[in-house]
Amino acid sequence: MTVRTPTARPRRAGWPKSRLPMYLVLIVVGLVFVGPLYWLAASALKPTVDIYRYPPIWVPFHLRWANFSDAWHAAPVGRFFVNSVLVSTVATAVELVFATLCAYAFAFLRFPAKRVLFLVLLGAMMVPGNVTLLPNYLTISDLGWVNTYQGLIVPGLGSVFGTFLLRQHMLTLPDAILDAARMDGASHLRTLVKIVLPVSRPMVVTVGIVTLVTKWNDFIWPLIVTNSNNMRTVPVGLLLLKSQEGYNNWGAILAGAVLAVVPVLVVFFFAQRHLVAGLTQGATKG
Amino acid sequence: MDTSTVVSRRSLLGGAGAAALALTTFGCSGKSDSGYGQAKGNVPDKYAKRTRVVLWSAYSGTPGTTLSALAQKFNDSQDEVYVEVQFQGTYDQASQKTAAAVQAKQIPDLVTFSEVTWHRFYLNDLLEPLDGYFTGDFAKSVYQQQLLSEGVLKGKTWWLPFARSTPLFYYNKTLFAKAGLPDRGPADWDEWYGWSKQLKGLQASGKQVKMECYQKVDGDWQFQGSVWQWGGSYSDGLTVTINKPEAVAAAEWQRKLIFDDKMAYMADSPTTDFSNQLVATMVTSTGSLSTAVAAAKKGGWEVGTAFVPAKARQVVPTGGGGLSIMRYATSKRKKAAFAFIKFLADPANAAYWCVKTGYMPAVGEAVNDPQLATLLKANPNYNVAVQQLAKVRKEDEVRLMVPNSNVMIYTGLQKIWSDNAPVQGVFDDVASQLTKATGQVKAQIEKHV
Repeated sequence: MTVRTPTARPRRAGWPKSRLPMYLVLIVVGLVFVGPLYWLAASALKPTVDIYRYPPIWVPFHLRWANFSDAWHAAPVGRFFVNSVLVSTVATAVELVFATLCAYAFAFLRFPAKRVLFLVLLGAMMVPGNVTLLPNYLTISDLGWVNTYQGLIVPGLGSVFGTFLLRQHMLTLPDAILDAARMDGASHLRTLVKIVLPVSRPMVVTVGIVTLVTKWNDFIWPLIVTNSNNMRTVPVGLLLLKSQEGYNNWGAILAGAVLAVVPVLVVFFFAQRHLVAGLTQGATKG
Repeated sequence: MDTSTVVSRRSLLGGAGAAALALTTFGCSGKSDSGYGQAKGNVPDKYAKRTRVVLWSAYSGTPGTTLSALAQKFNDSQDEVYVEVQFQGTYDQASQKTAAAVQAKQIPDLVTFSEVTWHRFYLNDLLEPLDGYFTGDFAKSVYQQQLLSEGVLKGKTWWLPFARSTPLFYYNKTLFAKAGLPDRGPADWDEWYGWSKQLKGLQASGKQVKMECYQKVDGDWQFQGSVWQWGGSYSDGLTVTINKPEAVAAAEWQRKLIFDDKMAYMADSPTTDFSNQLVATMVTSTGSLSTAVAAAKKGGWEVGTAFVPAKARQVVPTGGGGLSIMRYATSKRKKAAFAFIKFLADPANAAYWCVKTGYMPAVGEAVNDPQLATLLKANPNYNVAVQQLAKVRKEDEVRLMVPNSNVMIYTGLQKIWSDNAPVQGVFDDVASQLTKATGQVKAQIEKHV
């Protein structure tokens, strides 16, 4: 982000040579990040043969919009979207509530074994998801929740990462405002809602976005816990478009991938201002 | 099944709410008393009263929609059984998910396993022997005998051929004509080698056209054929033989082609490179035929196919998927599942499957069905693939039965193809890994084979 302050303007006009290498590096890094996305979007509009062509076609000239309708009709994509939206939003909302309450408790309440419990929590962050996959599946199966929305949502509700990030942020809040609240006789819940949450907004948004993106992209758990197409989420549903052997309609597969990426990009676009603020805050003060 | 204990445990766990996540060990140990349930799904109301059969499939794309269409046809052809096809990812993902489902005791009735994955379930006594289900007008002999025999162990049939493929030799007719080569496949690899000399100097898209390329991941399937063609094997029974001179010679041949003759290389997708005319020939699955033909049509050139060339022997492996019934499904569901297997083996349905997907006809009579007969006549390339079925052989035991052996072999091949590593050293190393891995499962395999 360029900082447009009055003092910075005249210096920019001068284009100091020392900045040139930096911009070159930035352009290269930008291409590395944007390149694959561009390739995805461009190829989603190409006929299959053009996707395979060597040397590659960088700018598609035969636009094939039918790739999108092919993708839409090859699988119940609409249903996948409904499931994904439902699962991601509900799971994110509940997870945020849990993470906030938990973080508040670890930051401001006094209770026995707090340090030990927090260490246990941190320890849980070190356990890779693959390890808990089978136990979670067996539990969900015992509960009779396979192929249900509960089964998709519930196992992911406890977020150590979110709790940790929010707690670290809450610890940085000045004691004075909390003392003031206490003197005014505010309860814990009131302190949380009226004081802590408003000043923690960037961090809450950050946790929310990161959680939402993780839930939206989650692949292995939805694959394991759902059986039939009416319960599949978008990332799992996309598998339906691709066959392991034989002919693949790559245009439709890439169009499906674009459809899957767009909602996340839109949310990201609207929330990125908060996100940047939140992440840097965590980095400097955490 | 003892429902009362299940319900009480369920409500107990349900009441415990989120705390139940911590109760996994309880969940595991507490269920040895109950039987196996059926995988959950979604049944339309009009089929609600039928015997429900859950089929876990590894087919998406065109094969996926074709299988669904066949299931739909089956469901509408009678009023007792409802087959619900549930796509579960690749063969490996479907097999992992089935393993998890067995743990959770909520199993499908019918699963499409690959030539490798069905062995894992067989070795754990989870598959149903199918011989007893063949009655009256439906005999085992309807299947192509060689393909059928690959699902037989200890005299019983566990896995029926369905979506089978073999490696096939592909060549670019147009490039061959430009290089002055005949319009046919080579009789053997030595003739092919001579042709590679003639191809030198031919350019496409500004690059030297190479003779062939080797598939980076899973290339050990094609190489299984090469090893046999050179007279060797991966293993003899469970004795690893990949570091014997014949197998070493087969890999040495490829190493020389890459690094001395510079007429071959390792590629992510040989089909893509062949489609772009970067290589003039390739050995890859019959399943790639439609992709190659479509690319050739757009690019204005022609694809030819032939038997994979011989060296000491003419032989190719098979691959792909087949159908197994899970042993712990109820006998009513197993019978119903077999009714669907029988339906799929009906020549007209088998032919429809082959025409739509390009898989090999596993049912002998299918080639006489008008749809497939027309295709065979109109598309000589497909006919070559079918003819080659006479040359197939079941893969070596170690690759089929020892977990991860395929990864060990293709990782070794990658070293040879990309690093010019001396073959004998690499294969000695692979052999010792394979022997070690075999040792871990040997007792279990010997009990079952």
